[in-house]
Amino acid sequence: MTLFGGKKKKDKGLYLSDKPPLTVAGIIGIVTSYTILFAWVVAIVWPLFQMVVSAFNGQQQQYIMGNENFEFSLRHFEFLYNETYYLTWVKNTLFIAISTALLTIVMVSFTGYAYSRYRFKGRKASLMAIMLIQTIPTFAGITAFFTMHSIVSSVIPAFSRQMMLILIYAGPAIASNTFILKGYIDSVSTELDDAAKIDGCSNFDIYRIIIMPIARPMLTIIALWSFIGPFMDYLLAKVLLTSPSTYTLAVGLFTLVSDFRTMNQPAFAAGGLLTAIPIVIMFMVLQKQLVSGLTSGSVKG
Amino acid sequence: MATYSLYLKDNIGNEYERKNKYLLDLARLDEKISQETDKEKKIALQKERKSLVSNKKKHPHNVKLEEFRKKEDEFLRSVKAEESGYEKTLPTSLDSQVKDLKTRRFHHGKRMDFYKGYSELTYEADFKYRESKIHVEQIPEIIEFIEGIEADLAQAMEEKENIDPKEDSRMKEDLKSFKKEAKEKRDQEIQKVKERRKEGVISSKAETNAIKELKREYKNQVRLQEYKIPSVENKDFIRSKKRELRNGVRRSEKILKADVADTRRKIPVEYEKNSPTVAYLTPLVPGMGQLINGQKRKAMFFFLATLFIYLIAIPYALGYGNYQGEGISGLISLAEGGARVHKSLIFMIEGIVAIFLLLIALGLYYASFRDVLNTERDMIKGIRPSNWFETKRTIFQEGFPYVTSFPAMLVIVFIVLVPVITTLLLSFTNMNPQNQSKFAWIGIENYKLIALGEGLAGSVFWLIFIWTVIWTLVATTLAILLGFFLALLVNNDRIKGKKFFRTIYILPWAVPAFITIMFFSIMVAPGGVITEILNSLFNSRIEIKNDTTLTRTALILIQAWLGSAYVFLLTTGVLQAIPGDLYEAAEIDGASSFEKLRRITVPLVLFQIAPLLVTQYTFNFNNFSVIFLFNSGGPFDPQRYGNLAGSSDLLISYVYKLALVNQYQAIAAAITIFISLGVMFFAFLGFRRSKGFREGRL
Repeated sequence: MTLFGGKKKKDKGLYLSDKPPLTVAGIIGIVTSYTILFAWVVAIVWPLFQMVVSAFNGQQQQYIMGNENFEFSLRHFEFLYNETYYLTWVKNTLFIAISTALLTIVMVSFTGYAYSRYRFKGRKASLMAIMLIQTIPTFAGITAFFTMHSIVSSVIPAFSRQMMLILIYAGPAIASNTFILKGYIDSVSTELDDAAKIDGCSNFDIYRIIIMPIARPMLTIIALWSFIGPFMDYLLAKVLLTSPSTYTLAVGLFTLVSDFRTMNQPAFAAGGLLTAIPIVIMFMVLQKQLVSGLTSGSVKG
Repeated sequence: MATYSLYLKDNIGNEYERKNKYLLDLARLDEKISQETDKEKKIALQKERKSLVSNKKKHPHNVKLEEFRKKEDEFLRSVKAEESGYEKTLPTSLDSQVKDLKTRRFHHGKRMDFYKGYSELTYEADFKYRESKIHVEQIPEIIEFIEGIEADLAQAMEEKENIDPKEDSRMKEDLKSFKKEAKEKRDQEIQKVKERRKEGVISSKAETNAIKELKREYKNQVRLQEYKIPSVENKDFIRSKKRELRNGVRRSEKILKADVADTRRKIPVEYEKNSPTVAYLTPLVPGMGQLINGQKRKAMFFFLATLFIYLIAIPYALGYGNYQGEGISGLISLAEGGARVHKSLIFMIEGIVAIFLLLIALGLYYASFRDVLNTERDMIKGIRPSNWFETKRTIFQEGFPYVTSFPAMLVIVFIVLVPVITTLLLSFTNMNPQNQSKFAWIGIENYKLIALGEGLAGSVFWLIFIWTVIWTLVATTLAILLGFFLALLVNNDRIKGKKFFRTIYILPWAVPAFITIMFFSIMVAPGGVITEILNSLFNSRIEIKNDTTLTRTALILIQAWLGSAYVFLLTTGVLQAIPGDLYEAAEIDGASSFEKLRRITVPLVLFQIAPLLVTQYTFNFNNFSVIFLFNSGGPFDPQRYGNLAGSSDLLISYVYKLALVNQYQAIAAAITIFISLGVMFFAFLGFRRSKGFREGRL
């Protein structure tokens, strides 16, 4: 439309669209489409809107009630900062998420490269083993995690439950992402590697100079997903973390709606809102990358 | 009895004459014996061979060799003294690096002269002669290189002293004014580019690129101008020369070592043994064999393995150094009859860890044994064992995948495998509220209980299983249909505001699920917004969370709300990628819009997102969050579900309650294994159909 720069003057008398004119049935169809689409918009926005409203509603007490009047106030946010460990939870979650992402990235970048580019003894067997292992759901080991942690921490007292949690998140992530990255590097021709080898690059140089920049988009996606994981998980964090000051956001916020002693639903709404906003922004901005990570995960191998 | 071969062979199969006449005689006899058909003559020859072996020391070659060894000893002693004498004659002002190199050159000169005389006698001497020759040829070049650069450096230092400070500061002033000028010019140019953008002549991308280019140009100009200042130029020159020196020497040393390694490959070794013995004598001490074969540094690394085996793996497996357990035997006893604080679970886990440590130890044993055996076999053929430089090169080349993926494997073994095996073993025990700290093996009792639906924990298994299957099928299918349908609507050509709809529709995916689930839970609680609205609509008191059917319906609706966003996103991506000409062709052929949907859209979309949809089903099968966070698996219905489960519990939340709330860990483990096998089976089906697997492109 903007090909010629200037504005186009519409001639009212002429039908200019390349689509056929609408029939009556077509008009009805479009109207119903819009109705359904807007209905779904309401279905999505209304609950979220309710959450925002109750987070800012000073009239709400311990329980969020449907028939309260609205009065703007920040007191639930104040409660969150002053009476709960909210900031500690944010810090814990960030610590766990970042460590998980880093650990996963470092290990996966090596395994993905090794499995894609080298033909070594035991390669196929170990690849099959990893493939099987990554299909085992993580929760299968929940009974053992706690005891394992107490064994390890008897040897290394500095080994905290949060570190155990990081390893638990990273382990399966390493297994499954090895496939994704391997597949990605497979799709890059080896010509670059060969050229680098001829120019005298060592294996590590090739990894550092050639493979890492090429695999960066995929590594970013892997890092993103392993970063998001700890934000979303409730079960494993709940099993391993026992004191409120070590909780992650999911576990911590749940105490605000589940336990009668700490019940404060509007504060939960406030905390949920604060947590959701950065994540929603991240999902919106990085939508394309996140989705391509999901689809590539489906064609493992 | 093993025989000697007439010729020696190197890595690539080149043949070499034997220089050791004694071994050569033996080899010739061996050949004669093997060719001889007459029995008596054969016996005579064998006798001759025996006498040759028994008179080994008197063989002329061996006598010469003995003499050579003596002289070599003498030479080695004398050359040390000469070396230190030579070092003293060098001027003390000399750079220590150069001094070192000169001494080395001197040493190898002497060494070369000595071994030259014996190079026909034995390959040992031949090799040492050539090794020294390489040093003698290459070290002077290195020294020359260093001296050249040092001379340059010295000159630069002198120039540094002679820089006129006035001239320098004048130049600096000049630079400042130059910078100012150049900056003004640059800013003008940027302004021009911006104006052109405003006029619409260039695109915004071209604008940013042009500005970047201008900035870079300015930087380069300033850089160039900077180097006109003597002090700056001098400083940079010195820095680059120092760097050149460092890298150059390192490179030359590497070339030297590589050349020596090359010679090692070309000059064979003569080994008196003709069948490998060291490997079979030292398998229990990794490192020993390498040491005997003369690979000292490699031996050091294998000794580390020995330390690991004898100080960590084996004692741990025997029960020493355990946290509580008894190593592997703890797996059988499970702390039975032990102290009160001893826990069976700890014994079990430590037993599993011990087994893995032992497996690693076995691997190390085997690696060392293979290494020694291969080296020895090569030596018998005539191949010289590789030195550290070569070994390092091999490790970095062929060992690279092993070295780099080792940490990942360790994490996978100890974080994924050990807990899973624990769960598997646990399912064969009777760990329940009565047997928390001590439990025993009971075989497949637990599986029997859940299969027959008996016992306190097993009786509700099938009830929960059926609801889990219904939930998985209904909730996932609903979400998929909803997401697909919405994506189709939004993607219609005639619908305006696509961006708006898309942004809103992925919100359920973007907002962390635990937050929305908990908020829905609040909204349907008594007095919550949704409850109030429903009450006023139907004019009755509805308590969703206390009614099984209503809770289940609410759960399915919430999951549809959550899951549809994801399907919507995936489908939209695929729909946008379908080329429009497909539809045009279909229209020309007279297809109705329903036919276009059925024959083009649905197959294309399904084909691409089907594997992801399968994962949606397995995800929902194990969707703990939505069940637990919404209503903790409730409402509770003790008459049908007993006290252990609620009526909306899935298998996974039931496992959670059994294992972590009610302490029925053993039966929970059995159910976990049941679920895992199922999930693994479906995941495996998915894999088998994936492209990579079918093409064997693993």
